[in-house]
Amino acid sequence: MRWPRFVVLVLIATILQISLVDIITVTTANIRPDLLLILLVFFAINYDPIEVVIASFSLGFAADLIGPTMGPQTISFGLLGTLLADLHRVMAIRKTSHQVVAIFIIGFLTAILAFILTFLKAEPTAANTYTELFFKPLYSAIVGPFLFLPVAWWMRIKGRKTRRF
Amino acid sequence: MFAPKSLTGRLQLTFAHIFSRPLRIGRGISLAMRTPSRTEVVSRREHDKLQNHLANINEQLRQEHEKIRKLSGLRSRLGLKGVYLVIADIITSSTEEFIINRGRNDGLTEGQFVISDNGIIGIISEVSDYRAKVKLITDPTCKIPVKIEKLNIERLMQGTGNNTSRILQVQVKHNVQKNQVIYACKKPGFLDVPMIVGRVAECKRDKENPTLWDITVEPATNLEQLRDVAVIVTNPPAELRK
Repeated sequence: MRWPRFVVLVLIATILQISLVDIITVTTANIRPDLLLILLVFFAINYDPIEVVIASFSLGFAADLIGPTMGPQTISFGLLGTLLADLHRVMAIRKTSHQVVAIFIIGFLTAILAFILTFLKAEPTAANTYTELFFKPLYSAIVGPFLFLPVAWWMRIKGRKTRRF
Repeated sequence: MFAPKSLTGRLQLTFAHIFSRPLRIGRGISLAMRTPSRTEVVSRREHDKLQNHLANINEQLRQEHEKIRKLSGLRSRLGLKGVYLVIADIITSSTEEFIINRGRNDGLTEGQFVISDNGIIGIISEVSDYRAKVKLITDPTCKIPVKIEKLNIERLMQGTGNNTSRILQVQVKHNVQKNQVIYACKKPGFLDVPMIVGRVAECKRDKENPTLWDITVEPATNLEQLRDVAVIVTNPPAELRK
């Protein structure tokens, strides 16, 4: 992992997520793709599990920085990013269709986990639950594979293979 | 997750402080891209702004008449006279909150009202030295006492998280109609006169209790298109008074 590039990428994604991504929101419910979720899946399927653990928690922390509550996203991104990296070692997620499904499922699961953790923290949870659980991961899944190419270029990945059992 | 909210809130505000410039540029571009045709937006916003102003003046006028009637001869101050308005730019925004570029050093404290286009849009919820978080009236955790136009009753208005707010506990014997104006009630030390917060968008019987209204309120100001806001500071620090 090229960590300086990773840091810059996460910062850019975080700033875009909170400011510029409004351009491509759809419907009156303001459904927007989650750039940090897309990055989470990208790193989970392209890097070694140890690196993915650090990357996942970092991405979760960034998501919390721009979210309403600190903590839930760090935990949910960290756990599910790690899980996806382990899963990728036994089941390749190379095809675009698989990546789309992976982004949707991970988005759905992170949203549910974050929702539960926020609830446990006795903080108010998002009112637009369906948007957070279904439509945001769906939009991210559609947009995600298109963003993998520029991200792979930035991270200098050239047909990297992950060791599988 | 287990850190105190004051600490985590400060962390978020610090992030907004450090990256305020790119965040503001991004938001500016985003707003510019979403702006519809020029004539429609300018006239519409100006129209809403003047309508809100008119509603505020009408309510203040009504109250003044009431006071004159009851306490003739007693002088009282008008509107927001004597109150300081701290103008702030919005750094980041979501459907439930804004982060603005003014903080404790500018006289801001928790609980102060935030206005834009002559209407109340939210309340300061967290403050750091140079930044503050505004909880919008549409946030589900935001509850403010309000009064419905022409009705002499005070109720709590709570956000729905869906760009609207709700007023419950209003009995159906009260005549509530669409487009009726909703005013934030006076709050000593924070708001000296009632100010418009929204208008009734929908009024239907509560599903759980049909003897009550379930009133949906839409904000008086279009929250998505805002670039700057003003914070009402009733007790400014000495430096601000100079």
